[in-house]
Amino acid sequence: MTYEFTKEDLDRIESIKKEYPEVKATTLQVLWVAQDRFGHVDADVQRLVAATLELPEAHVHGVASFYTQYYKQKMGKHVLDVCTCLSCQLCGGYDILNHLEKKLGIKAGETTKDGMFSLQQVECLGACGYAPMLQVTNGEFVNHLTEEKVDHLLDKLRNGEDPEHEMMEMPLRKQKENP
Amino acid sequence: MTMSEVFIDGKRYEFEGQPQLLQFILDLGLEVPFFCYHPSMTAPANCRQCMVKVGSPVKDRETGEYELDDEGNRVIRWFPKLQTSCNTVIADGMVVQTQESDELVQRAQKDTLEFILANHPLDCPICDQAGECPLQIQTYKYGPEGSRFEVKKVHKPKHVQLGPRVTLDAERCINCTRCVRFTDEISKSHQLTIVERGDKNYPVTAPGRSFDDPYSLNTVDICPVGALTSTDFRFKARVWEMNQTPSIDITNGKGCNIDLWTRDNLVLRITPRFHPEVNDYWMPDAGREAYQLFNENRVSHPAQKLESEQVSASWNHALETLAEQLEQTDRKDVLFIGSPHASVEENFALMQLANLTGAKTPVFTPHVEEGSGDGFLLSDDQAPNAEGCRLLGLEEVSPKQMQTKVSEARLIVALNDNLFGRGVLDATHAKNAFWVVFASNHTETTQMADLLIPITTAAEHAASYVNVDSRIQRTFPAKETKYSNRRLSMEMSEGRLDRFGTSFDNWVTEDHKIDCVPFWDFATQAGERLGLNLHLIDGRQIMDQIATMNPAFEGVSYVTMDEQGGIVLAKESMAKSK
Amino acid sequence: MSQSDWRTYKPVLIPPVDNLHEIEVYRKQGGYEALKSVLTDKKRWADPKSVVDEVKAANIRGRGGAGFNAGLKWSFMPPADGGPRYLACNGDESEPGTFKDRKIFEYNPHLFIEGAVIAAYAMEITTIYVYIRGEYRPFIEMMRKAVQDAYKNGMLGKNILKSNFSVDMVVASGAGAYICGEETSMLESIEGKRGYPRVKPPFPAQKGLWGRPTTINNIETLSCVPLVIRNGADWFSSIGAKNHPGPLLYGISGHVNRPGVYELPSGVPVLELIEEVAGGMRNGKKLKAIIPGGSSTPILRADQLDGVTMDSDSLRTAGSMLGTSGMVVMDEDTDIVEVLWRISHFYHHESCGQCTPCRDGTGWLEKILLKIRNGDGETRDLDLLLDVTTQMEGRTICALADAAAWPVRYTITRFRDEFEARCKKSVHALV
Repeated sequence: MTYEFTKEDLDRIESIKKEYPEVKATTLQVLWVAQDRFGHVDADVQRLVAATLELPEAHVHGVASFYTQYYKQKMGKHVLDVCTCLSCQLCGGYDILNHLEKKLGIKAGETTKDGMFSLQQVECLGACGYAPMLQVTNGEFVNHLTEEKVDHLLDKLRNGEDPEHEMMEMPLRKQKENP
Repeated sequence: MTMSEVFIDGKRYEFEGQPQLLQFILDLGLEVPFFCYHPSMTAPANCRQCMVKVGSPVKDRETGEYELDDEGNRVIRWFPKLQTSCNTVIADGMVVQTQESDELVQRAQKDTLEFILANHPLDCPICDQAGECPLQIQTYKYGPEGSRFEVKKVHKPKHVQLGPRVTLDAERCINCTRCVRFTDEISKSHQLTIVERGDKNYPVTAPGRSFDDPYSLNTVDICPVGALTSTDFRFKARVWEMNQTPSIDITNGKGCNIDLWTRDNLVLRITPRFHPEVNDYWMPDAGREAYQLFNENRVSHPAQKLESEQVSASWNHALETLAEQLEQTDRKDVLFIGSPHASVEENFALMQLANLTGAKTPVFTPHVEEGSGDGFLLSDDQAPNAEGCRLLGLEEVSPKQMQTKVSEARLIVALNDNLFGRGVLDATHAKNAFWVVFASNHTETTQMADLLIPITTAAEHAASYVNVDSRIQRTFPAKETKYSNRRLSMEMSEGRLDRFGTSFDNWVTEDHKIDCVPFWDFATQAGERLGLNLHLIDGRQIMDQIATMNPAFEGVSYVTMDEQGGIVLAKESMAKSK
Repeated sequence: MSQSDWRTYKPVLIPPVDNLHEIEVYRKQGGYEALKSVLTDKKRWADPKSVVDEVKAANIRGRGGAGFNAGLKWSFMPPADGGPRYLACNGDESEPGTFKDRKIFEYNPHLFIEGAVIAAYAMEITTIYVYIRGEYRPFIEMMRKAVQDAYKNGMLGKNILKSNFSVDMVVASGAGAYICGEETSMLESIEGKRGYPRVKPPFPAQKGLWGRPTTINNIETLSCVPLVIRNGADWFSSIGAKNHPGPLLYGISGHVNRPGVYELPSGVPVLELIEEVAGGMRNGKKLKAIIPGGSSTPILRADQLDGVTMDSDSLRTAGSMLGTSGMVVMDEDTDIVEVLWRISHFYHHESCGQCTPCRDGTGWLEKILLKIRNGDGETRDLDLLLDVTTQMEGRTICALADAAAWPVRYTITRFRDEFEARCKKSVHALV
């Protein structure tokens, strides 16, 4: 399949180029622009990025394959990245993953037949105090998960609602503010 | 000023500038094992094999003098960790301990090999690299005796056709990144990258892209394991069965230094040979395919045209026919054609024959394809010796002039050059003359021959070629003809098989010996038959003659060429002698 | 005013002010005054070097885990030569157990920006790159917004606060690679490449981004800078632990009642941190062990924690490290074999694959641990694990191999009986 950047994307790429002294440095950022546009950076998208930046295709491919957040193939509409690393493991991250596997009828690494959800087991996402947690399609974090909260999230996503940003308060700070 | 000094395993060495430790050790003829380092590329220090212990002497801050211990020895402050010698710059007074003198270094090198081998398939018995594999060699020397790795190895893609000429086995790869660095830093095609991460790493092209870099096979040479192999050479021969003979690439004017690898008188592969001023460690893929020229489609045994059909003729008959033709034909109607594809010695022999028979100086037409060069190791000049022809004093003519001369001649004696195949001549120019063609391979030109005489190739004789940069370099005989013998010829290398093989070894056959002679041999015999004093024995002796007769070649001999890696000839001296 | 008693400590990095992330609110709170002072008060700050000296004297020890004196690091920059010089801010925090810098992006981004611009002035930096891990997308957006606001208010860009000083700030997003938290790997990633750590020397101060002088600081470290400028080095170094002073963001996770990020002086006793700050153990369980500063720091058993405080000296004495001060707390029900396997899985997954001992060692560690976890291990495997850690440590370009080796070594030595209980007895010895 052939892909094309929109005018808006190209403008964005031009402004990214201005932020760095050489074009190679924009590789990661432009792969993000591409993934935001096409939902993945498969071989064809990688080729588009290389052509747009006039960089070797092998370079772009090597970079795309190094970083786990780039989807090297088409994914479900929503990608659920469930953290199971250390703190999440301690607080039931695997239970959440298992629950999702059962609920969606797929294993981690797979996509539901309707193309709605991809499920992945991922490494630490930097929300250790809010374990267990997951991230939706490289975007919002959903924290302090329970099975009920997961079910609710799936319903929301199916209904086309985006998960809202959860401000995770600093407990003691809040306490001091309102003694 | 005193020289800077460094102490390696207790011995003192002097150095200048800021040498890298590993290269310095290698230049001394000593050894530290390594995989990722390559002298012509950046050092990523990623294989971690070349670990050594490094320390520097402690100096008194005030006096600047070395601090001494109770026994009067310098106090050494050792680096807290072992250092990779490849990227360590030597400093004055530095003290180095390698595996030769330090147990921790030995242990570290062994540990690294254990890690490398953990996920390596250990399939040496079916691996092409076996026998010339740095991993295999260093494991024998420095590695662990057994493996403690009892869990599952990582699996990766195998027999991947990376491009038309290179095959990848990713499981054998040890991620030294030499191949990737080669395409980034040397060939600059940027076609390879490492993909994935951690122990899933391996080198590959972008998806759907072919590794068709015109220098791709160099990655096979520098791959320190059997991960990258030559698609053509795969499974053809074990390295220890082959003879390795130094030679020169004859497919291009650049004159890359190469090695011919032969087994049972077949050239099986060509690899580059290091020459700092000509080709470094590299050569183009095109030059490697030339190995087939030495084996296939060879002219073997003389032939004469009878009623437009070439039929086999005896050597005596060939000699007699040439002599008769030369005697019969008016000198002014005889045209000798030299060849930029033939060696200095062959062209010289042709010149001698022409001179002594009273014919005009031989002519030649360079074989240049404008724009085909790349500014690296491929020149526009497709022939290995145009410059040699010029320096010898052959008359350089354009294709047009060549056509005129050929049309006017009655007898043509042509040295190994496919003038019809490369578009200088076509059948209309050839009608009038009797063609005597000396050739190594069948071509459009040999089809025109009324008398066809087989001669040796660069793989069968010692001869010299002058490259586009006026450097004269020479070949060594690598394969036998029907009339040469490896054991008797002092010029030929002997391999393990030659020394220890028996007639029962099933790969030994006479079939691969071509029925041909060196051109100068035949020229000398023709001279004898014609009563001319043409005394040409072999390349070595001919070059000595040339050196005394032609000021352009003054001081050139096989000895000096061998000592100096070829000699750059001055173009001016020729101009003067003209 | 003493800020050393954590019970009466008032947060300064992230004070309890609503909407502090908005530049107007931040300025109302005295924000960017430190920058103004540095740029315009020539009596107080004669030259950039005077700023470096003050920061050096404050002894801000790097909050990214290595604990190196930030001012001293700044002083390694060679003299300016008119060419570009860079400050690379490390917001890649990816070490399991660490989630503190995101609080700065979320709640007080301008404190960080102010600190970075002061650092830029002190080192004559021309461009600041802020590298944030790609998973922090929501926080990256917040940071980008804050940078925009700072430009609009003249705190970034040309002639900042009408001084002659100009500097740009670019927010770069990572894309999922723990290794990019390693400083030279981060430079490679900013340069748009695979995140392979660089061989040192040359050090970034000599050859960093695009071969130019570059200093790399952690986000929290730079956020301390305006506080030092405002209140003085003495004030800063009087807070908390003597050898590791200042405010500290503690990330507490695991089996506690109130996990989260807390700003307190450095040197809070570990047990008080668990019992009082984080609300004690969940479900009334007993404490089994902690990992004090991110998954690579050696685990400490509950019985090793008496009197131990969260600072580098005390933790070193106890047999561990402060790291990123992201503490993971484990209760008595924790399966320590399972925990160690999961940590090893993490390092195996995140090894960049450049150096042999790390590439092949991390996988080997994980696979042996997996075998033990599945009940197929033998006691000799434990010794093999210890051997492999020795073979990895100190043999690679960066410290990921060390980070992978330490947890294995210390968890096995400190919980050997639990590992042996899961292993079959070896029938033959190790080769």
